[in-house]
Amino acid sequence: MVQEKLYLKGDKLLDISNYEFKSIKNALQIGREKTIQKIKDSDLKGRGGAGFPTGIKWEMAADVEGKEKFVVCNADEGEPGTFKDRYLLEERPLKVLEGIMLAAYAVGADKAYIYIRGEYSRAIEVFSEIIKAAREKNILNDNLFNSGFKLELKLVRGAGAYVCGDETSLINSIEGKRGRSRIKPPYPIEKGLFKQPTVVNNVESLCCTAEVMNPDSEDFSELGTEGSRGTKLLCLSGDLNRPGLYEVEFGQITLIEIIYDLGGGIKGSEDLRFVIPGGISTAVIKADDLDFPYSYQAFEKRGSSLGSGAVIAVSKKHDLLDLMLNVSRFYMDETCGTCFPCREGNRQINKILKAFKEEDGKIDTELISDIGNTIRLAARCGLGQSSLNFITSVIENYGKELKFGGKIYA
Amino acid sequence: MDKFKSLFYQDSLLEKLHQFQNTYGYIPEAEIENLSEKYQLSRANVYGVISFYSMFYTEPTGKYIIRICDIISCHLNESDSVLKAVKSYLDLKSHQTTEDKKFTLEVVECLGHCGEGPVMMVNNKIFTKINKNKALEILNDCM
Repeated sequence: MVQEKLYLKGDKLLDISNYEFKSIKNALQIGREKTIQKIKDSDLKGRGGAGFPTGIKWEMAADVEGKEKFVVCNADEGEPGTFKDRYLLEERPLKVLEGIMLAAYAVGADKAYIYIRGEYSRAIEVFSEIIKAAREKNILNDNLFNSGFKLELKLVRGAGAYVCGDETSLINSIEGKRGRSRIKPPYPIEKGLFKQPTVVNNVESLCCTAEVMNPDSEDFSELGTEGSRGTKLLCLSGDLNRPGLYEVEFGQITLIEIIYDLGGGIKGSEDLRFVIPGGISTAVIKADDLDFPYSYQAFEKRGSSLGSGAVIAVSKKHDLLDLMLNVSRFYMDETCGTCFPCREGNRQINKILKAFKEEDGKIDTELISDIGNTIRLAARCGLGQSSLNFITSVIENYGKELKFGGKIYA
Repeated sequence: MDKFKSLFYQDSLLEKLHQFQNTYGYIPEAEIENLSEKYQLSRANVYGVISFYSMFYTEPTGKYIIRICDIISCHLNESDSVLKAVKSYLDLKSHQTTEDKKFTLEVVECLGHCGEGPVMMVNNKIFTKINKNKALEILNDCM
């Protein structure tokens, strides 16, 4: 039986009077530069989906001058299948707070935001209480532990828009605008919130920085394998006997073990068909290709990604066309509409799939693949770019098997 | 107010909209007018913001907003049958409100409880591992 590695997961951390803030105290003691160096040395990659190295992001932000500088905690967890950030916000909010403080201290920001999706009413409630308590205890808005470092933190709640998980859309949303993505460059690090240098970090990434800086968990950055350090929270869902949240060490567990040991295998009598490894914006991994250690690189090699850590098991019970329509409808509804290849492309895909279902006619898989490539190349945010990964990967892997009419995908 | 400060001020717009939405069940014309003055935005601009976000409405909603997720993880666990039952029970389609203004139905995208699906949300309260019967019971409790 595989053992979980517990760093991010654990007892509830809700009582600020009993929380020691060891990581931020450690950072204040060693100073900004060494803190950034430690995060860089830990080789921590962003856990929101894109996997950008956190230390490099912080270093670049620290070097930029601005009238103001902001840190934004991205808690707009919307990738279907993902619920790890909700867990951290509801049960371990003090770790999240400490991560925000670390980021702000390291890059030299004295204002921070946490943007929590509107549907997470419990998380919003819990985190509002934490901010209130932190203000009362002079952890926020004051000379923190007599270091001269001061941080203001404000919570903004989202209002139902998947695309705000993209950092530039999220920034627009905080500014009280429609959550449309911005053209990059300039990147948020140069010109983000209110045109000022802004660091946007995911909730889990920030919790990881708190582990890296915690003298009690010094081994955290040594865990894993080269290029994939530390642990990862996995959100298991779909056709599993034991769905739920698990924490694993990179490189030490295979996808087979994740599905059959942690997840308890497939429920019912049907076999597994494929795994969606990182939320519906990632390409599927077939059931006969699960015997590899969980790492950023292993998924990249297979043309997929570990994404947000949402591992969805899909058995042979389900009609693939129905699932493709389900995912397609999601993107059709959630595209922000700014880049027309994403807006119109996702609509066309839905139309093609629907026509295939209703008329049982022919499906032009080549056209789907073309639209997929166009969106990938022309959409300006990561959410749009990855919107067809699921559908095109299903067609690539199962197109022939499903006896799609018309042109057969090569 | 200098321009920089007034920009900062905009970070409260979404929260204001939430408050109106909670108070009235929608965002009334008069408040849109007030907001446009307060934030120095055109009314069209404020409308544009409201219409972008699915949790804001410009028409009155029901006392209970029923949100049911039907995206992949829930869908694999038969959320579509829950949805079908609720739709026929309330005689509503998604985005519609009952005539007595009691229920608004929304088919939504992921409520972040994917390991415990199907998931339903009634106003701010989450219900996990629901099925047809449980969903109808929850609705009956609201009656």
